[in-house]
Amino acid sequence: MIIRKKYLFYTLAFTSAFIAAAVTALDSFVGAQAAFIHDPWAFAFGLFFVGAIITLLIAIVLSVPIKGKSIGAKVLDPSFKRVRLVKKSEVKYNLVAGLMNAINTVGYCAIVSTVQDPAVILSFSQIVILYLLLMESITEKDVPTLVEVQSSIIVAFGAILASISLTGEFDLTSILIVFVVVNPTWAIFSIYQRKLKLMKINNRPNDSVNIRFWNVIFTCIFTAFILFFKDLLTSSNHLVSAFTTSVDPHYFMLLAAIMATTFFAYVLYIRALGLGKTSINNAIRASTIIFAIPFTIILLQLGYIDVLSTDPVMLLIKVIGMILIILGIISFALTVVKAYIFITVKPGYPIKETMKKLWGIRGVTHVAATSGKYDFIVKVSTRTLMKGYEKIIKKIDEIDEIQNHKWESVLKDWENI
Amino acid sequence: MISAYILITMQPGKTDKAIKEMRKIENVAKISIIAGEYDIVVRAQVKNLEELLGVTDKLQMIDGVTKTTTQIIEKEIALS
Repeated sequence: MIIRKKYLFYTLAFTSAFIAAAVTALDSFVGAQAAFIHDPWAFAFGLFFVGAIITLLIAIVLSVPIKGKSIGAKVLDPSFKRVRLVKKSEVKYNLVAGLMNAINTVGYCAIVSTVQDPAVILSFSQIVILYLLLMESITEKDVPTLVEVQSSIIVAFGAILASISLTGEFDLTSILIVFVVVNPTWAIFSIYQRKLKLMKINNRPNDSVNIRFWNVIFTCIFTAFILFFKDLLTSSNHLVSAFTTSVDPHYFMLLAAIMATTFFAYVLYIRALGLGKTSINNAIRASTIIFAIPFTIILLQLGYIDVLSTDPVMLLIKVIGMILIILGIISFALTVVKAYIFITVKPGYPIKETMKKLWGIRGVTHVAATSGKYDFIVKVSTRTLMKGYEKIIKKIDEIDEIQNHKWESVLKDWENI
Repeated sequence: MISAYILITMQPGKTDKAIKEMRKIENVAKISIIAGEYDIVVRAQVKNLEELLGVTDKLQMIDGVTKTTTQIIEKEIALS
């Protein structure tokens, strides 16, 4: 089916954020259970241990073919065929993503176990969007524009305002853990998940189901190692107690419910990562805070959480935060300029060299050497037309072998995804 | 697999209807409405030149299409 790529990207990212909000509610409920409230480490390991089993079961069910296509391909990711072994080319990315996810979870647990009200501290994890912008300017060819930086700042600060609680203490060590451990690890984790999604496996785009499955496996192994060393250094017994709690049927079912729901949130998130920048994905993911409201009300009705704050100042701050998140996301969605540039070159110059020069220009997302009226068709993406002229057209003019070029702005496009 | 860009010139006022028809054609991977010398760019992905001929044939049959220019991709680099 040929649809608008932009619509698919936002649908996937928002659906993922909505499911993530449900996961947050489940997390609060299960994390408050007797076995986990005093031992968040056991909760962390339990999640990935049970997660590995439940994710495998879901992936097997999704591998069942119906009329030549797997269930997973029909309902989740068209690239998915069946659950498979990790490929050699994927291992290094999985090692990094798994390690980062494990450290991130441990950092999160460290905060939860030491701070009275984690919302005070964890709201600062939304700054991760800015970390991602910085990292993308190094790892991706496309440097963030002023609009992207502004929108990201609006979303990040909006998310902080919308999720902050003023009832707890402002603990410096925990804030440091957020800035030095939680945020960088999440940023690297997301970037490596995107790298995996952009890979080609057996001449097909990599699928998000296998990426998620292998990430859970690697994260489980790394979490076990971290807990083992923590137990060794502090003479504690977290790993064994985590294992025994996880196999208890009552806790197993609760953890399985969280990880089954998380699976769908992540698979959609990984698919969205394959379609758009990590920073924009995470900005949209900040809408989880807004989607969490109905789930918080359900938990409140069921009596699992205390009465919500009705302090008008606090409510006003949260509403302002939510408005900022929505404004930031709209700004991202409406400020992309895409164009084709049709290029002819002078004879006597090697095509490969010209291709390299064109690819080296920032904002160029696609270079095709073609036979026909034009020698190259280049696709560019920029946030403003002015930047398109300053950063792209001027650079093309500097390439000696280029005889002529025509800029044709894209007004609307559809893609077969 | 052969990929090609097909650059299309349209009669004014017939683009929307033509796009609907183009979206139904098999082997069409991408359609962009553009502003400039051409009106629409179609990216086709086919197994052989025979299939490419089939795609251009179907495009030329659509009401409003006045001219097609086919550019076969020999080599490409892309972000994703």
